[in-house]
Amino acid sequence: MIENQSIYLALSIVLFIIGAAGAICRRNAIVVFMCIEIMLAGVSIAFVTFSRTNQSLDGIFMVLFIMAVAAAEAAVGLAIFVLMYRKHGSIDLDKFNLLKW
Amino acid sequence: MELVFLLICGGLAVIASLLVIFARSTLHSALWMVLSFFMVAIIYVLLHAEFLAMLQVIVYAGAIMMFIIYAIMMLNLRQERDARVTVRISKVVGIAALIVLFLELMLVGLGHSLTAMQGPITETLVATHGRVAVIANFLFADYLLPFEVASILLTAGVVGAVVLSKRVK
Repeated sequence: MIENQSIYLALSIVLFIIGAAGAICRRNAIVVFMCIEIMLAGVSIAFVTFSRTNQSLDGIFMVLFIMAVAAAEAAVGLAIFVLMYRKHGSIDLDKFNLLKW
Repeated sequence: MELVFLLICGGLAVIASLLVIFARSTLHSALWMVLSFFMVAIIYVLLHAEFLAMLQVIVYAGAIMMFIIYAIMMLNLRQERDARVTVRISKVVGIAALIVLFLELMLVGLGHSLTAMQGPITETLVATHGRVAVIANFLFADYLLPFEVASILLTAGVVGAVVLSKRVK
């Protein structure tokens, strides 16, 4: 048990909620992408906090793999944004309803 | 002392994250995002995860943000700035659900003292071996398979990005 555990957890919850709210409200695809990164940062803080609390390294490895997945996601996601822009001239997410029924 | 640093850096991380959402220009959002990542790195240092803090600065604030700023500069997003904001029912419902989720998380996460089984990484072990050596020992023994899978994932991501962004003649 570390002394400020609840403050770290509160920070991680607040960051996650801010990221989710931004992902819902914003329409620019790149901003939505950055909001998802904020959500990942919040989750990572919770992982590291519990890793330190429980004297274990598992949380730290989870954050390492989150970083690897985020890097792969950035590479593929931004390539998709460039493709979307080339095809439609904008990356406004409200204009994309290809998969809507 | 730790509490003061935690409150300053946590507050700055929250403010920077809010500015990512509310900034009008996408490039400003990206720059606030860099500040937010640096603050998260400082929080990792406060949690005694110095190795992760270095990775956070190099991978997130360096590589991923460079990707994003490259993409912003390649796309011309200026004409979307004056697009009017539409209020949709799905967004209102989403925000309401988020508020409920926030209250739930706060109640569950902070209401009790969360304890679990203590792991083998004690402070004396870290003090004798060094933190990075302990991480490396576990990473290349217990976590070898996930490590290799992550390397395959990164390779696939790079190949996918090249294939996607190549112009088809």
